[in-house]
Amino acid sequence: MFENRAIGLALVLPAAIFAAALFLLPVGILLSEAFRTDTGWSVSAYGEFFASSRNQTVFFRTLKLASLVAGVSAVVGYAAAFAIVNLPASSRGRMFGLVTLPLMISPVARTYAWLVILGRTGFVNKFLVDLGITDTPLRILFTETAVFIGLLQLFLPLMIISLVSAMENMPRDAVPAARILGANWLQVFWRVILPLTREGLVIGGTLVFTGSMTAYITPAILGGSKVLMLETLLYQRVTVANDFVSASVIAMILITMSFSANLLLKRLATARKSR
Amino acid sequence: MSDPATSQYVSLKDLTLAYDKTVAVDRLNLDIHKGELIALLGPSGCGKTTTMRAIAGLLTPRSGSVHIDGRDVTRVPPSRREVGLVFQSYALFPHLSVFENVAFGLRLRREPDLKAKVMEGLQTVGLTEFLDRQPADLSGGQQQRVSLARSLVMHPKVLLLDEPLSNLDARLRLEMRTELQRVQRETGITMVFVTHDQAEALALADRIVLMRNGAIEQIGTAEEIYNAPVSGFAADFMGFETILPGEAGGGLAWRPGAVVLGKGPHQGQVRGASFAGERREYVLESPFGTIKADVPISETRFEIGQQVAFDLPRESAVELARID
Ligand SMILES: Nc1ncnc2c1ncn2[C@@H]1O[C@H](COP(=O)(O)OP(=O)(O)O)[C@@H](O)[C@H]1O
Ligand SMILES: [Mg+2]
Repeated sequence: MFENRAIGLALVLPAAIFAAALFLLPVGILLSEAFRTDTGWSVSAYGEFFASSRNQTVFFRTLKLASLVAGVSAVVGYAAAFAIVNLPASSRGRMFGLVTLPLMISPVARTYAWLVILGRTGFVNKFLVDLGITDTPLRILFTETAVFIGLLQLFLPLMIISLVSAMENMPRDAVPAARILGANWLQVFWRVILPLTREGLVIGGTLVFTGSMTAYITPAILGGSKVLMLETLLYQRVTVANDFVSASVIAMILITMSFSANLLLKRLATARKSR
Repeated sequence: MSDPATSQYVSLKDLTLAYDKTVAVDRLNLDIHKGELIALLGPSGCGKTTTMRAIAGLLTPRSGSVHIDGRDVTRVPPSRREVGLVFQSYALFPHLSVFENVAFGLRLRREPDLKAKVMEGLQTVGLTEFLDRQPADLSGGQQQRVSLARSLVMHPKVLLLDEPLSNLDARLRLEMRTELQRVQRETGITMVFVTHDQAEALALADRIVLMRNGAIEQIGTAEEIYNAPVSGFAADFMGFETILPGEAGGGLAWRPGAVVLGKGPHQGQVRGASFAGERREYVLESPFGTIKADVPISETRFEIGQQVAFDLPRESAVELARID
């Protein structure tokens, strides 16, 4: 693109220096915290972290909720994206705007709205009591369900956006062609839509999984200290216990899980494709 | 052809098709005979593709019905209509090899002898060496053949082809034309193809359905429509360049070759002249409007700006029932 490679390098250099000095270096220092002991270098901090049953619970809860949010948003996302892509051009833009609207609202405001909706006197409970489905209001807030709902709402738009753009890149008539060749909708999905939108699913899945795992505000407000996630635990360790070693371990776990999720999803995508 | 089982093999009855707000096809009636090669001809946007999509079941009619082989299929989904459709965009599955593209429908049906049937299909279109290729590595003409083979191996009751030749270059287009004719003759399959090219329809089709604004303007054999267009629109589409009003709302139409230049009762000024091999084409400005004429290259040559006498002989005109 540039006649001279030097110009290209000169253009990325400021950003590269900025990222290295202000991001990679501190991250490196933080992460190395967990490996430093009084006597030298060791991985014992990880063993100690996982020895605690509370930490184990938090770890597996985070993994479970993030996977669940990613999985459910994939299912809901495919349906929504397919519907949006097939709308007439005029309403497609409007619907897409509506779906992405939550992304433009502060996560704090959005999460507080859930407090109102899911609380003891919120309208979910009012509805259930009025219909006689339950006598006493259910406890939804400060449960995993509340965190799940909050995270799903927070990240579903990212999945839908990824899948919509993947579907827009499918050859226009691939789905009708499969229908005419005798495929029912399930077969159309498995044999045509899924293979042709894998990249979008990988991107969306990674964004949603990583986002859910590292979200702070939603689990903090909807889960509180009853439903700790790795991110809320990390914050608690630092502010309450001044325990930078655990914080560093958690940060490392989060980074590792994000990368693994991405690699795993990519692997899944290419494995099915080369069949 | 009076037996409805063959004369109404595919039958569209009062078919009205609409998108959102636009009505694309308005109360269309059409009977397609078993084993015929029929062309839907008309300018872009007149509803040809929409009609095809309705026959295939990709679009639910707003009203009216579609019948195939004696059965009302209006509510039958495309997967169970036994119709083939070769899309204008070919619509191959980019993630599957040529072989797998052709095998797609057969696999869904769990047909025995899959490999033999796919190879037979590829043989029909002359692409047996390409079975391991990905669609992206094929030329447009080859993709088209794969798409054709993919439909043919299913032995559909009707094969629909949407502008099968318009994305090909001139040489390939002629080649595919004969190919389609050969396939149709060999298989005896009922074929409907869409085109906006008058010459293509005339060369290929047993019958031509001329469409205009979502309705049928005229149906007939190539000769019928070519020699006796019913309206100004039909005449214009069939290459009549000079169309003048006649008596009682009717009209008269002349092909460029029917206009006499150099003598006659009318005067016109030459606005354009171009060489076209055996003939020379002229555009005249006259009291009747613009006249297009072509004369053999051996005749007197006229220059741009020159006043020329011309005649529109009544006996070489075609009478139109309607001028519009
Ligand atoms: N998906 C669509 N949404 C809205 N209008 C459409 C759509 N497809 C076609 N149309 C309209 O329907 C009419 C007929 O289109 P089409 O059947 O594609 O014409 P043709 O194939 O003869 O060129 C046109 O006016 C076109 O603008
Ligand atoms: Mg069309």
